[in-house]
This record gives sequence, C-alpha cells and structure tokens, in this order.
Amino acid sequence: MRVLLIEDNGRLAALLVAGLERRGFHCDHAETLTTATEAVVAQVHDVLIVDRGLPDGDGIAWLRDIRRQGHMQPALILTARDALEDRITGLDAGADDYVVKPAEVDEIAARIRALMRRPGPRAQTELRFGPLLVDSARRRTLCAGQAIDLSRRETDLLELLLRQAGAVVRRESIESALYSFAEPVTPNAVEATVSRLRRKLEDAGARGMLHTVRGVGYMLREPIA
Amino acid sequence: MTPRRSIARRLFIGLSIVGFIGTALLLVFIINEHRQSFTALGDPAAARHAFRELFEHVILPILVLIIPMGMASLIVIRKALAPLGEAVAQLQVAERHQRGVLIDHAAFPTEAVPFAQAVNRLLGQLDQAARDHEAFAADVAHELRTPLAVLALELDGLDHPDAPRLRAEVIAMRRLIDQLMLLARVEAQSAAQSIRDMVRLEDVGADIVSLLAPGAIAADKTLSLTRVGEAVPIVGQRETVAAALRNLVENALRVTPAGGAVTVIAGPGPRLRVKDGGTGLTPERLAELVQRHRRADHASSEGAGLGLAIVARIMAAHGGTLSSVADAQELVLDFAPL
Repeated sequence: MRVLLIEDNGRLAALLVAGLERRGFHCDHAETLTTATEAVVAQVHDVLIVDRGLPDGDGIAWLRDIRRQGHMQPALILTARDALEDRITGLDAGADDYVVKPAEVDEIAARIRALMRRPGPRAQTELRFGPLLVDSARRRTLCAGQAIDLSRRETDLLELLLRQAGAVVRRESIESALYSFAEPVTPNAVEATVSRLRRKLEDAGARGMLHTVRGVGYMLREPIA
Repeated sequence: MTPRRSIARRLFIGLSIVGFIGTALLLVFIINEHRQSFTALGDPAAARHAFRELFEHVILPILVLIIPMGMASLIVIRKALAPLGEAVAQLQVAERHQRGVLIDHAAFPTEAVPFAQAVNRLLGQLDQAARDHEAFAADVAHELRTPLAVLALELDGLDHPDAPRLRAEVIAMRRLIDQLMLLARVEAQSAAQSIRDMVRLEDVGADIVSLLAPGAIAADKTLSLTRVGEAVPIVGQRETVAAALRNLVENALRVTPAGGAVTVIAGPGPRLRVKDGGTGLTPERLAELVQRHRRADHASSEGAGLGLAIVARIMAAHGGTLSSVADAQELVLDFAPL
C-alpha cells in the first residue's frame, strides 16, 4: 500500500514516514501542494495524508480542488486545530477522515487501514481483518481459511462491522443498513443477529472479536492475544 | 486615619453648626435692637415679652429653615446614592469568571461618574489581562504540540526497554496540553457567549461511549450507556459538553480495575452521570481536585485534577454543577433545565 504524506515540517514528516514504513506502508513525502498535485495526477498512491497549513496554501482547499478534478484517493486530514468547525470543513471538502495532531503513528496507521476497508471507488471486494476474510462478491466468509456458514443478514452485519473494525458501529446504523424501511425492525432483531454471528465466529475460532457496547452499538476488533 | 462618617451624619453636624451660628447671630441682633426692654427682665410681663420676641424672631425662623432643609437634603442624598447601591448589587451577583462586568453609571449623579468610569477602566484592563493570559496559555500549548509530536515520533522509532515508559509520559504530557487548550477554549466561548445549540445529552453520551469504548475494551473494561427517563435537551455548546463528559469517563476508566465496568447514565432530566468501579470520590475530595488548578498546584501525577477543574468550569459556563456521590461511585453533571 502506497501512501503520500503532504506535510511541510521536514523533521515531523521524516519521522512519520519512517514510522509508517515500519508498519508496512510504502510512504512518499511531498513538502508543497505543487509537488503533491504532480504525485496525485500520477495516480500511484492509495491514500493521501494531508496537513493543513502548507507553504503554498491550505490542505483542505487543495483537497477540494483535486476532488473536483476527479481524483478520489481516500484522504486523511492531519490537523492541529481540533475545533469541530474545522472537522466539518475538512469532511465537506472531501476528506474521508481526520486525525488531530500530534497523533500516534499507530493511530494514523489504523486510520489508513480503516480507510482502505471503506466502500468507495477503490473498495476491494475481499475484506481481510485478523483471521477473517469476507468476499462480498461471492458472499463467502472464511475464518483462518475455513468457510463459515453465515446467513445473508449475518454476512451483511459482519461486512458492516469489518469495514469499521476497531470502532463502535451504532445500533441505528446497523438497523438502517440491514433492514429496509418497509420492514418492521423488532427491538431484538439486531441483538439476535449479533448473537448468532458471535456464536458462529467463536465456533470457527475467532474468539473475543465481536463486542457489545451496551446502549450504543457493537464493535469488531482483533482477537485479544 | 479620620473616622468614617456617613453623609447623613455629616449633614446633621453641618446643619447643627449652621443652626447654632444662625441662632447666635440672630440673638445678637435681637438683643441689640431691644436693649431697653431687656434691661427690665425682672418684670415677669417684660420677660414674657422678651421670650416671645426671641421665639418669633430667632427660634421659629431657624426651625422653619433647618428642619425642611435637613429633610430635603436627606431625601436628595438617598435618591442620589440609590443607583450606587444597585450597582453594588449587580457587581455582587457577577460570577467569579464572568467577563465584561461593568458598572452601569447611567443613573449615577454627575459627581460619582468619574469614579465609576475609573473603576470600569480598571475592570476592562483586568478582563484584557485575563484574555491575554489565556491567549498566551493557548499559544504556548499550541506551540508545544509540534515538538511533542516530534518527540513522540522519535520514541516510536526507538527500540529500547525504556521506550514504552517514555511514550506513556509523552502521552500524559499531550493530554495535559490538550486540557489547557480546552480550558482556553471554554473561557473564550463563555466570554463570547457565542455558540448556543440544542444539545441532546444522550447523544453526547452515545458519542463519548463509542469514542472511548475501543480503548476500554482493549484494557478489558466495559463501557456502556444507560438511558433513564425521557431525553431532555439542554442549551449549550455541544463540543465542550462532550469534552466534560469525556474527561469524566477517561478518569473513571483510569480508576476502574481491569474486568470492571464504567457506565454513563443519561437522565432523568438534564443530567449525565458517570459510574465507575473505583472507590468513589467524597464531595470534599472533589472540591479539592476542582480547586487544584486555581492554586496553581499541578502536583497530581494522574492529571485528573486539571481535568476535573475544567469539567467544573464547563459546567459553570452552562449554569450547571459537577457533584459527586461517593457511595454510588458516581460523578454527576447537572445542567440547567431549559
């Protein structure tokens, strides 16, 4: 996976590039938006990490421009300004996620992986997470190479949780994703699907991956080592 | 130092002196004029006549003048000073951190206006000094972020047994800086009274629980949200309300041992509670932790003191309170009802 880091602080950028390389990302660095534009046009990067204040302009305005030109690589905004207004501006401009500086390399790496799992123009049909592999095109789920027999709804649920693995998925989003408006959703329907899925995952050897956050939703995470 | 005397008392003394001098002068005139009749005071009829003369020309005019004058003066003084009393009442209800408090001297007598203006100028300077101080703190915090990020990244590449411990220290420092910046933002917003949205407390609860649940689960703790009663919206600043709750939940997770549970309870009414698996906080200890940053004593190793002080500040800005129920191991955020 190839990442383009657009950041003007040379020292910070060098350290971040080294950190991401250690985590298995191939990382290039652009110090100005002009260099970044050339790289984006060349279409070699899977993810963009964009800092805000750059010598030749604002990262968010730049992102809005390249989106207008049709470059849809997932973008992660790196911002020191953590006010809500900035986040909204960033997401409106076509950023897919944001990280507040100074962020841990682990956090940035996790966000990049999450971006790659999201549906979008570049979404893969095969989703891998820990021992799990969901092939949404062939509607097949494997755990450590062994097929798991899941119903359509259980597969949809697993895919939804997997695309946002490591974060809590709200119950309301699950309801709206799994059930059409016409279908009446009984209060226990989601719970029942989740517990069936959890049992099947545990039977297949994926223990401690599917967690309930009572009152809010559910979360899929790497099995506890 | 001269003893403090009220205006009414000075007036009384002044008028007494005027009356006394007036009486004396009049007496001199009268005696001068009626010298011959006063020579035969042995005669009772003459004495009565002399007394009547004195009463009509000395005592009566003095009383007629002094009494209404004294009363009129008292009324004028009382009326003129009334706006000062009202201004004092206004200043007394002003909250500890309230900004832009000025004396309203529209109704003041002309003589008192320069004094009020001087005090207002001073209050303005104090406000400005506080703003400068906060802006400086925010700037410092902001400037510290980049070197801290560099430090964190350097440590990330360091393969040394001490590296994880140092990384934890850097994270703690970053947290402290975030708190400082948050505090500066709360102060700025409460000064501006700018953003006032309808905030649904249970939504804030759900946001914070989903934000912090992954970390809690990784540390083998459970974090959950419970709703009690009808959801009641409040008017406030969603970001800072969320920051207050986040502070409480992070503290709660810190004091809860592995395997324990932290619960955010939304409701009943405009209230959020955070129940943890720690030992509970007595109201006295809470007050102590809240006071900590005012005494500029940052000796807390866990960084909870500043956090709770910020929570208390956010609550005050929302007309609410932070309290503790030690027996229930709960910290309670009560917001002003709509």
